[in-house]
Amino acid sequence: MAQPFVKKDDDLDEEEEYSPFYGIEKGAVLQEARVFHDPQLDARRCSQVITKLLYLLNQGETFTKVEATEVFFAVTKLFQSKDTVLRRMVYLMIKELSPSADEVIIVTSSLMKDMNSKTDMYRANAIRVLCRITDSTLLTQIERYLKQAIVDKNPVVASAALVSGVHLLQTNSEIVKRWSNEVQEAVQSRAALVQFHALALLHQIRQNDRLAVSKLVTSLTKGSVRSPLAQCLLIRYTSQVIRESSMNTQAGERPFFDYLESCLRHKSEMVVFEAARAITELSGVTSRELTPAITVLQLFLSSSKPVLRFAAIRTLNKVASTHPLAVTNCNIDMESLISDQNRSIATLAITTLLKTGNESSVDRLMKQITNFMSDIADEFKIVVVEAIRSLCLKFPLKYRSMMNFLSNILREEGGFDYKKAIVDSIVILIRDIPDAKEIGLFHLCEFIEDCEFTYLSTQILHFLGNEGPKTSDPSKYIRYIYNRVILENATVRASAVSTLAKFGAMVDSLKPRIFVLLRRCLFDSDDEVRDRATLYLNTLESDASVGGTDEDVKDFLFGPLDVPLVNLETSLRNYEASDIPFDINSVPKEVKSQPLAEKKAPGKKAIGLGAPPSGPTSVVDAYEKLLSSIPEFSSFGKLFKSCSPMELTEPETEYAVNVVKHIFDGHVVFQYNCTNTIPEQLLEKVTVFVDASEAEEFSEVLTKPLQSLPYDSPGQTFVAFEKPEGVPAIGKFSNLLKFVVKEVDPATGEADEEGVEDEYQLEDLEIVAADYMLKVGVSNFKNAWENLDPDNERIDEYGLGVKESLAETVSAVIDILGMQPCEGTEVVPNNSRSHTCLLSGIFIGNVKVLVRVSFGIDGSKQVAMKLAVRSEDPDVSEKIHEIVAEG
Amino acid sequence: MGWWDSLLNWLRSLFFKQEMELSLIGLQNAGKTSLVNVIATGGYCEDMIPTVGFNMRKLTKGNVTIKLWDLGGQPRFRSMWERYCRAVSAIVYVVDAADHDNLPTSRSELHDLLSKPSLSGIPLLVLGNKIDKPETLSKQGFTDEMGLRSIVDREVCCFMISCKNSTNIDSVIQWLVKHSKSTN
Repeated sequence: MAQPFVKKDDDLDEEEEYSPFYGIEKGAVLQEARVFHDPQLDARRCSQVITKLLYLLNQGETFTKVEATEVFFAVTKLFQSKDTVLRRMVYLMIKELSPSADEVIIVTSSLMKDMNSKTDMYRANAIRVLCRITDSTLLTQIERYLKQAIVDKNPVVASAALVSGVHLLQTNSEIVKRWSNEVQEAVQSRAALVQFHALALLHQIRQNDRLAVSKLVTSLTKGSVRSPLAQCLLIRYTSQVIRESSMNTQAGERPFFDYLESCLRHKSEMVVFEAARAITELSGVTSRELTPAITVLQLFLSSSKPVLRFAAIRTLNKVASTHPLAVTNCNIDMESLISDQNRSIATLAITTLLKTGNESSVDRLMKQITNFMSDIADEFKIVVVEAIRSLCLKFPLKYRSMMNFLSNILREEGGFDYKKAIVDSIVILIRDIPDAKEIGLFHLCEFIEDCEFTYLSTQILHFLGNEGPKTSDPSKYIRYIYNRVILENATVRASAVSTLAKFGAMVDSLKPRIFVLLRRCLFDSDDEVRDRATLYLNTLESDASVGGTDEDVKDFLFGPLDVPLVNLETSLRNYEASDIPFDINSVPKEVKSQPLAEKKAPGKKAIGLGAPPSGPTSVVDAYEKLLSSIPEFSSFGKLFKSCSPMELTEPETEYAVNVVKHIFDGHVVFQYNCTNTIPEQLLEKVTVFVDASEAEEFSEVLTKPLQSLPYDSPGQTFVAFEKPEGVPAIGKFSNLLKFVVKEVDPATGEADEEGVEDEYQLEDLEIVAADYMLKVGVSNFKNAWENLDPDNERIDEYGLGVKESLAETVSAVIDILGMQPCEGTEVVPNNSRSHTCLLSGIFIGNVKVLVRVSFGIDGSKQVAMKLAVRSEDPDVSEKIHEIVAEG
Repeated sequence: MGWWDSLLNWLRSLFFKQEMELSLIGLQNAGKTSLVNVIATGGYCEDMIPTVGFNMRKLTKGNVTIKLWDLGGQPRFRSMWERYCRAVSAIVYVVDAADHDNLPTSRSELHDLLSKPSLSGIPLLVLGNKIDKPETLSKQGFTDEMGLRSIVDREVCCFMISCKNSTNIDSVIQWLVKHSKSTN
């Protein structure tokens, strides 16, 4: 692996040896800069020295204030030379040094002279430098010259003035806006670059005036723009206008679409690509609109220029996420790109193909990828692994071939990150596709037989300990685990001992044999391994009287730790060895950095091995721990679902509050995560006053206030409601944050004694039907559907009225129900007239629910929906219909 | 004889080409840029805009090429004068001799500048400009006002001139040409 890198370094060294700048030093160059003071200037030599100085500056070398000033004034003396090359270097140097405003003004007069010089090069560059160093008073003095320069015959001069205008617009917009007429004239210039710069400036001048931009686009799209670059800009502005106008007008022909389409036939590839991309990015693009764009992109795929191939495949990759069907035409071209020399192109091609592929092509694709994997770098391999993972979740029936693929690449050479990505993927697939569990675990076992990464080995052993005992034949894993005890390093051995113990505790039939193995571990050379073995043996042997009942022992050994590890660590650090034993109950249970953890959590799919142990996701797990640590909530029973946090405040307000709804069978708990963003305040006795007058079925049972909320350290307050058992009651709640505010002296951090009561209005929150639905997928919808009693099926039809598009309707219905779409049916093929979506979930009371929704849309955009629900309980099926009817 | 002289001059300029570098400083509106124009072209213009920064001019008088740093006289440029006076053949300090109010400022700026060690020994030419105006000081009064007699560490010369009427411009050029020799 290291070989190519070493070689690369060698190349670099050789290059540097030939570089004229090799080994130059700041001090030496500053000495050389004395030639600037020579009475007889050597222009060539001065240019060389400036080049070196510029090189140093661009390499990140910094000059001290004194050095910079010294060099700057020396450089200004070079204005005496008439050498054009040297003058150009002087301009560059002034721009690059950009000395302080009171010094740089010394060159103003010289630059103004150059700005009106007969040499075009002087004029253009002097304008650029002058605009860079000028202030508004000086700008008014030179404005006249700049206006002239914009319409100068020489394109270089005109461009310089226009680009300067773009920069000046940031600071002196009023002055630049007065140049509109000249800029407009420059837009008609024959010179390509002038047209480009003029269009950019004109658009910037008008960018805040939507009507003016629209007018600009209207007049220019009629065809006076010759420069390809300007044409590209115009396409961007056009799609901006389209975007903004589509918000106002609902239906009808898309304005300017003809223009975009005509650009697809432009002779410049750049323009063609820009237009194609603009079309694919139109909001709500139809397949009729997409087709011509996809066609030109398809042509680019077989271009000889790598940049075109890359641009096209990248755009197609994006399109494939939203309109997979539109891209399928290009499949053959993309397949040939898998063997492209450029690996970025190849990887994009593969991932695009995985997105567009249907179930039947998966096998063939997997074969292709297998050939291709061996010659790409690890980072691209990770991209492919991730694509495979999402593909597998989309087509769970294909898990066998993909599992095989993953296990094959797992056996090949690869770095840690790559291996971790594969292992993570297998773990996720095991979790989400129950059928894949046994085969997946088997592959992981094979892997740890020859795994060089201790971290991965221990993680897999831990996972195996949780999942293995639940399989049909746990005994077959024992061999792999015990091999670790014999063969591996101490860390892995210790975790293997724990895994063995888990098997022993959970599978009674294996217990005696496990004990034999554990006893052997008592003679291990490592302390930790021996300690663990001793602990497990003594607690698990039922006649030993260390613990209480069998349940207690298991809970003690394998139950979740009910204090946050961070808190435990701090407490242990503070604990001084003494006669008083350490009391775990003294460890605070509040989770300090809760909101932070939540922010990271949304990347659920990426969690993988990070936290696979007890819950489906670590977030729910954390909530469960948090709630169970509060005694008042212990009587509520098992937590059914925690919704993702919802903001109740605007961003950037004094107090940031978000709420997490925890659903129990007969209760609802609102967890308000509050953050105080004012350093001068300390909040105390923070509660949320909840008005449930619009939620009749709920009655408040208790409030758990937050005693103190210092600056920037988040805290939680809870409000619990009682509701009818098992009923998906819905309602709206208004919230008012109440607290006592105390002034804090920012210098000492001490709070005043006296506080003032205050309150803060929060946004409303709602309990909706979807909150009672747990998103749980099924791997084989058809089987699952047929396994449920057809007598419990309820079918009804609904007219949904006029809708924007089918896709929008489908996602709205999924949101209302809060269920998990299966088999990729949440994606509506572009422009289709009907669609069937398969959903699954678990309703409150642990009732499995499957839903099959068929949608149809007619010419007048009337949408009709047929909803078939099967569940374990006919009442629940009824209830789902009620939810939809209300939604 | 005239052409013989000019031929000799021309020959001399070929073989004895000389260079000199001058800094032209003084308060704003003293007539520095006008002086450059008068020396270079002989033309005079009432409407001048203030110099922002410096003008670099090259003139040829006889066999002498003069590099002229014509610096802006506004307060914000005065701290930078010194940088353009280092290692020049002579410093030319122009004063508006008719502007009595600003003479003290002009005097202190001059003496501040001359106290810089980097400029020690550089010959100084002080020009009292605008003698076409009636309220102009006499040469004696001007020399006293400017405190020129207290400058002892260098060669100092003073002329009363008028750029408008080209009075005494010849003597200035002569003085300059004479000092060019000392540099080579």
